[in-house]
Amino acid sequence: MFKKLIAESMGKSPWLFHINAGSCNGCDIELVSVLTPRYDAERLGFKLAGSPRHADIVVVTGPVTTQSLPRVLRAISQVPEPRCIVTMGSCPQSGNVFKGSYSVAGPLSKYVHVDVDVAGCAPKPQAVIDGLALATKILKEKREAK
Amino acid sequence: MSIVMSALQYLGYILIFPGFLFCFLAGLLLCGIDRKLVAKMQKRVGPPILQPFYDFFKLCGKETIIPAAASSKTVFLMAPLVGLASLVVLQLFIPVFNFTAFSGMADIIVILYLLLIPALANILGGAASGSPYAGVGLSREMVTIIACELPLVLVLLSVGKAVGSATGEGLTFSFSSIMAYQAAHGSLILKASMIPAAVAMLMVIPGETGSHPFDAAEAETEICEGLLAEYSGPPLGIFKLSHAIKMLTMTSLFVALFLGGIGGGIESLVALAGLSGAAAGGVSVLLEAIVLFLLCVVLTVVCISFVHAVTARLKIEQIFKFYWTVASGLALISLVLAWYGL
Amino acid sequence: MMTSLYQHFPIFSIMVLFLGAFLIVLFGNVKPLRHAIALLAVTASLGFLIALVKPVMLNGEIIAYWMGARAPAGGYAIGIALEVDALSLFFGLLIATAVFVSCVYSIQYMRFDDNVGQYYTLFLMLAGGVMGLVLSGDLFNMFIMVEILTFAAVALTAFRNTAKGALEAAFKYLVVGCMGSTCILTGTIMLYAQAHTLNFAQLSAFIPGHMNTATVVAFALLYIGFSTKAFIVPFHPLAADAHGAAPASISVLISGVLTKSGIYGIIRLSYFLFQTMNLGTMQFILVFMGSVSMFVCVTMALAQHDFKRLLAFHSISQIGYVLTAVGLCTAMGVSSGLYHAMNHTLFKGLLFLAAGAVLQQTGTTDLGKLGGLSKKMPWTTALFLVGAFSISGIPPFNGFASKWMVYQSIYYKAVESGNIGFVFVTIIALVTSVLTLASFVKVSQSVFFGRLPKEYENVTEVPWGMRLAMSLFAILCVLTGLFPNVVTTYLTQPAANAVFNVANYINAMLGSGYAESVMGAAAPAAQAVTYVEVGLWQPVSWLLLLIIALLAVTIVAIAGKYDSVSESAAPADSKYDLFFGGEESVYSQVGGEDLFWGFKHNWRGYFNFMHELHSGIVNDYALWAVVALALVTLYMLIVF
Repeated sequence: MFKKLIAESMGKSPWLFHINAGSCNGCDIELVSVLTPRYDAERLGFKLAGSPRHADIVVVTGPVTTQSLPRVLRAISQVPEPRCIVTMGSCPQSGNVFKGSYSVAGPLSKYVHVDVDVAGCAPKPQAVIDGLALATKILKEKREAK
Repeated sequence: MSIVMSALQYLGYILIFPGFLFCFLAGLLLCGIDRKLVAKMQKRVGPPILQPFYDFFKLCGKETIIPAAASSKTVFLMAPLVGLASLVVLQLFIPVFNFTAFSGMADIIVILYLLLIPALANILGGAASGSPYAGVGLSREMVTIIACELPLVLVLLSVGKAVGSATGEGLTFSFSSIMAYQAAHGSLILKASMIPAAVAMLMVIPGETGSHPFDAAEAETEICEGLLAEYSGPPLGIFKLSHAIKMLTMTSLFVALFLGGIGGGIESLVALAGLSGAAAGGVSVLLEAIVLFLLCVVLTVVCISFVHAVTARLKIEQIFKFYWTVASGLALISLVLAWYGL
Repeated sequence: MMTSLYQHFPIFSIMVLFLGAFLIVLFGNVKPLRHAIALLAVTASLGFLIALVKPVMLNGEIIAYWMGARAPAGGYAIGIALEVDALSLFFGLLIATAVFVSCVYSIQYMRFDDNVGQYYTLFLMLAGGVMGLVLSGDLFNMFIMVEILTFAAVALTAFRNTAKGALEAAFKYLVVGCMGSTCILTGTIMLYAQAHTLNFAQLSAFIPGHMNTATVVAFALLYIGFSTKAFIVPFHPLAADAHGAAPASISVLISGVLTKSGIYGIIRLSYFLFQTMNLGTMQFILVFMGSVSMFVCVTMALAQHDFKRLLAFHSISQIGYVLTAVGLCTAMGVSSGLYHAMNHTLFKGLLFLAAGAVLQQTGTTDLGKLGGLSKKMPWTTALFLVGAFSISGIPPFNGFASKWMVYQSIYYKAVESGNIGFVFVTIIALVTSVLTLASFVKVSQSVFFGRLPKEYENVTEVPWGMRLAMSLFAILCVLTGLFPNVVTTYLTQPAANAVFNVANYINAMLGSGYAESVMGAAAPAAQAVTYVEVGLWQPVSWLLLLIIALLAVTIVAIAGKYDSVSESAAPADSKYDLFFGGEESVYSQVGGEDLFWGFKHNWRGYFNFMHELHSGIVNDYALWAVVALALVTLYMLIVF
């Protein structure tokens, strides 16, 4: 019963840690807009955590520049299991308009397993919420599989 | 036989009411109501009221990472447990719903010091993690404690003096005589001289629980929640739980000190309604519990949620200044008034 | 008069210490022998005093001992006398305990030093001096003992004279310490000129009826003299320097023992010799100096960046509590003050020993350079925390029990006397307590927690002998905190009873009826001393509840897989690195003297003023002593 309770809660209380991997700030602003009164992701239990140690979902924005790559990977590795990695916007997914630049090391999926990709430049808040909801489902499955 | 019975009774106090189970439920519920109301005040839908429970159970299912730089693993892992245990034991000494599990074991000055133990556990746990964020958080947490201590001391001294001079004892620090006085003469907040102290106490509540605008120690946006920066999994959950229980502790402390004696009215109401005997007793106890819990909720709303929704985080030196001037000044007025028998 | 064997014990307990000192001079070159002699001497001294607990503490006997059986003849007490009442024995026990533990600690702590033979000689001289002071029955012997202990302490302060500032500290101590001793000598001479006797009991019978300008000035001189020994404000800078430079085992004696001798002297003077404590004006001096010491020194401690200097200031801050409580002139006040004096010896001793352990293993006590030592020295850390919690008044340790009694007695005094000033003293005491906690949080973070600097990665735990000594203090700290009623019933209340029954003290020395015959109607009647307990606190029950609660939490936590913690396997695994905003974590220690700048910022005017004031120049400190003497003399001349 306790295990079930935990798995159930795992899907209801996802805390986000946001990493900017060289983003143009467009997605960052959109992510914050998800928490505003209009969309209010907190009703699903979403909360921005201050430290990767507290997080369940890592949201990465930006094309993962060579400068940011080791930092992104380190921060992701510091998130306790079970965790989900969500890329937000087209940049971490494909490189977007920065693709091929000498300073872009992305896409992120070359380095870590990415659970959810939310595409768009920048993605609509609805899409972000949808992606995050999907991530919480994956989180719950990961816990149940444990 | 009776020894076994009383041992079971004590165990019941510790584990069920007003110990762990009650603290767990009521504390997290208060926290949930707080979050919901803040959301409502900001025109949001807000999380479900049970959200803190989900958070707690989720954290129980996460991994606990001990950083390699942690200077003491034992302190790092034991600090949350000691903090929670001491907070629950503290709750046993504070009248909850006009009921004290172990009255006569600690007076209000002792409570002042017992309140330091959970904070100290938090501080030492954070210090043991080795994180510089925790170092900054520790500094701010300690300054907040110093800041809150002076008004709290003044409030307690003025309550002790006011009740003591009214009952003829001179002064009293015991909860039971404070409660008895209020049951006989009405709540202390009705005394004009005690109103400034009550206001000061209301100001202390958010500082002690570390909520807005006095949460510089746990600022998640600047110092990664400070002391908790390196905590993950169940220990983090226990810290969050202690934090929620502290809201209950502080509000019930306020109710006991300033709003005591409300239960008497309920009993007469029940009698008016035509009930009598055991049923009346049961109903009145239940009603009383509900009313007093609602009082705690109202207090939480007034001093935590509402203040949270309308203020921005203060800097640590501003927090200190606020408590040692405004709050202490108010409490001092009460102390002086109580001293001259008003 | 039949003398029982135990009547010789007071002189034995002093003698063994001095005898040990001389034997060590003779045989000190043999290493095991000098340890054996020192340990034997301090153990014997402690043993003799413990044997006195039953007759003096429990049966309320007062031991009057005339050296060479030269009892007073013709109404004048000429011989050298020892007089041991419960108060003397209480302080004697404190001293013997502290000396014993410090001696155990010294064996391994001093093993790298040269001339350890001389160290032990001075150590035992110091111990014997203080022991003689508290057990002595006449004023002149008290002065001699003051001289012995002052010079031994000065020499021991500079024992590690290669260390920076050791000689300077010793010099400062010498200058102001000698001013104090001179004050005591002058006061003694003036009293002798007036009363033609130096015997305490006889003086106590004579002076209260013959107060004149000369005796009042003598009182002021003696009071200031003993204040310098207790290091209360304005004599506090000496203590800081002396503690910073002295070996830790000596710091234990300076803070735990020397300051107590000052407090003992003040109690003897004001309650016995002059019997002025029932006057509000006299209470004012003690309470005022006590609360000023309390607050000034705790704020000074908050600004320190050296572990031992910080402890030194706290030492005086705690002495402030003792002085304030003693100055209340209520039974509860004296009892709680003595209780706190005892606890201060225990926890401050423990803290100094922990500081010594850190110094021994790392070579520094600078808060800005240390950090993370709990990884390497877990025992020292745990013992330090016991001391830190005790001094900060965290339940259920002893500091809380006594401080709490002190608050109650101050506040009760306020209500009883209707004097609102005492309310502010209560507030100062309570705030001082939380500031004490703050500075020990600072020490914990800066020395034992936080990050371990690279250069201390090979630090090891201190040897078992030092841990044993610290553990002794720690156990006593916990026990005296858990059983406050035992301590008050068997130790502090008999001592407080002695304080309020001066006539017994006089008569025990000079035959019953003496006090009444000399003082007539003014003779202090034997009082039934009542202790008013205002508050409620049951530490044992609280601890039991906490243990049950903790067990419950732990069981739930383990059952709920709390035990599935993951630790670093490979040193370079970034998962176990500290969070640094994604960067690789570098050494970064938040600590040092400015940790609580949020507090200090608001008080910057005060802190800057204090900084300017404590110039470190001995001339200034000597001037303060003179000013204090002048003010106290003036005040006393006006009010008496």
